[in-house]
Amino acid sequence: MFKKILIANRGEIALRVIRACRELGIPTVAVHSTADATGLHVRFADEAVCIGPPPSRESYLNIPAILSAAEITRADAIHPGYGFLSENADFAEVCENCKIRFIGPRPEMLRLMGNKVRAREAAKEAGLPLLPGSAGVLKGPAEAQAEADRIGYPVILKAAAGGGGRGMKIVRGRDAVSAAFATASAEAASAFGNGDMYVERYIEKPRHIEIQIVADEHGKVIHLGERECSVQRRHQKLIEESPSPAVSPELRRRMGEVSVRAMERIRYNNLGTIEYLLDERGEFYFMEMNTRVQVEHPVTEAVTGVDLVREQILLASGQPLSRKQEDVQLRGAAIEARVNAEDPVTFAPWPGKITGYSVPGGYGVRVDSAAYENYTVLPHYDSLLAKVIVHAEDRPLAIARLQRALGEYVIEGIRTNIPFHRTALADDAFTSGQYDTRLVERLLASEAGTRRLRQAIEETP
Amino acid sequence: MASKKRGDETDARDEGPATSLLDVDALRRIVELLETTEITRLSWRRGPERLLITRGHGPAPIVHVAPGAASAPLPPMQPVSLAPRVAAASEPAPAAAPGTDKKGHVVASPFVGTFYRTPAPDQPSFVEVGSVVRKGQVLCIIEAMKLMNEIEADEPGKITEILVENGQPVEFGQPLFRVEPA
Repeated sequence: MFKKILIANRGEIALRVIRACRELGIPTVAVHSTADATGLHVRFADEAVCIGPPPSRESYLNIPAILSAAEITRADAIHPGYGFLSENADFAEVCENCKIRFIGPRPEMLRLMGNKVRAREAAKEAGLPLLPGSAGVLKGPAEAQAEADRIGYPVILKAAAGGGGRGMKIVRGRDAVSAAFATASAEAASAFGNGDMYVERYIEKPRHIEIQIVADEHGKVIHLGERECSVQRRHQKLIEESPSPAVSPELRRRMGEVSVRAMERIRYNNLGTIEYLLDERGEFYFMEMNTRVQVEHPVTEAVTGVDLVREQILLASGQPLSRKQEDVQLRGAAIEARVNAEDPVTFAPWPGKITGYSVPGGYGVRVDSAAYENYTVLPHYDSLLAKVIVHAEDRPLAIARLQRALGEYVIEGIRTNIPFHRTALADDAFTSGQYDTRLVERLLASEAGTRRLRQAIEETP
Repeated sequence: MASKKRGDETDARDEGPATSLLDVDALRRIVELLETTEITRLSWRRGPERLLITRGHGPAPIVHVAPGAASAPLPPMQPVSLAPRVAAASEPAPAAAPGTDKKGHVVASPFVGTFYRTPAPDQPSFVEVGSVVRKGQVLCIIEAMKLMNEIEADEPGKITEILVENGQPVEFGQPLFRVEPA
């Protein structure tokens, strides 16, 4: 087992990893920027090292600083959390060269899945279903148009190095292809330093369903069922749940089997998530793979009873999988709401000092957060403030419980999207389970939705 | 460590030989050193010699010297290290830690690494307390990623304090030296 783990992250996920380490009896090292000196991860880790100024690229993305911190504290493993360096193959490789275990998949897995075009090719080879699309990077607008004609409209243009919704354009007819290609490619070039594009079929009512993969270092792979993350705004997930109301036991078995087989074939190791689009007919298509622990991992923990971060550390240390596929059962329903420090109407980030704070609790409620009274939400980092996760015996009770918990959450001094969550959870499309990735868009465009949102803002403590 | 706490009192006692070395220069050095620490009161006695220094609120350091003079044992340097976490959470960032009442400016570590005062283990230190340095002069080495990085003086001046011990780990922004205009 590891002697000391350095957590190359901040906020709630750093705290989540520290908690798992503490329960395993492994000492921890927090790294932090000068702006995060009063962060809870700094407080609760056994040691802490300041690695740079507030901007991420000089601190949490600063590979030499993080490795030096590991060196001076003699940490023998690094947990990267999510975001920052968690999917950086070069970082994982340098860790390996420094004889520090990167808690995650092997560098070549990160490299494979980090590039969307290569990931698609690998997924296809491994037997995962793909949306009809271009075979590789498009050479230019003319090829984009020819490929779109072949695939059939509507199509979506996507950046090869993309993510977070940037460098994407939906095209509904052939006349619009070349203009959309130019815009999306320029956007991708400025956002990712790479303007490479590909094109694929566009699904009108897609649901975002992802399969949680757990794999050991010895070739054994299982899945822990699905999470539905269709409540998103501009491809940023807001509410996640497991199980998905759209996934039958038969579909779960099929998605799980095909995912596990593919992972065995590429000899995947550690945690991973395969994201699929599910269409109206129940067909699913590989979107991308995330080679790290996900923000929304607690909903899977709730329904399966598997501590994913603990499992991740144990697997990285070489331990075999703790259970077989047939031992995995989904019990009840879990939902997570991502509470962001942002305006509930405009979604503009809202950094500032939290002047009053009271966390919800009670049966079946879990709050993962690094916030506290007098904590200042910093403008340098993402706006995720807390994850409120509920678990109940069925979905209607889970929705009621999450409404109840969000109603108890007092966060004064800054704005949060809690009123938005309360509105979305009350939406007919959500409560009936008949929703897709455009729920948020429709909700905010509807009169009833905006009226309910205004009301929720007034009612929020 | 006691010297880390604000408002602490330090009692130094030594029953050593009575050969006195406490002249004006030695006193000045003691006072200068005390100014770079959080110590507010130093009382020292050796044989017939007594020294009591209090500082903080009120007028500049008050020095009482009994007949005779001797060099006081130096108070321990304020250890600035990778402090235990509970302390860090309630204290300002390392870069802001040195008190604003102190003279001169602080040379802080530009990155995480290991602090070395000498170019090689068997060689003399780059600088000592009292050394006068010119701008660009090498003060120490920070080893990071197996690379020896020379840290230079950003301004000319006199080294009044060396805040880290040789071979100790340092973090970003951690104060290394205090330099006063010469």
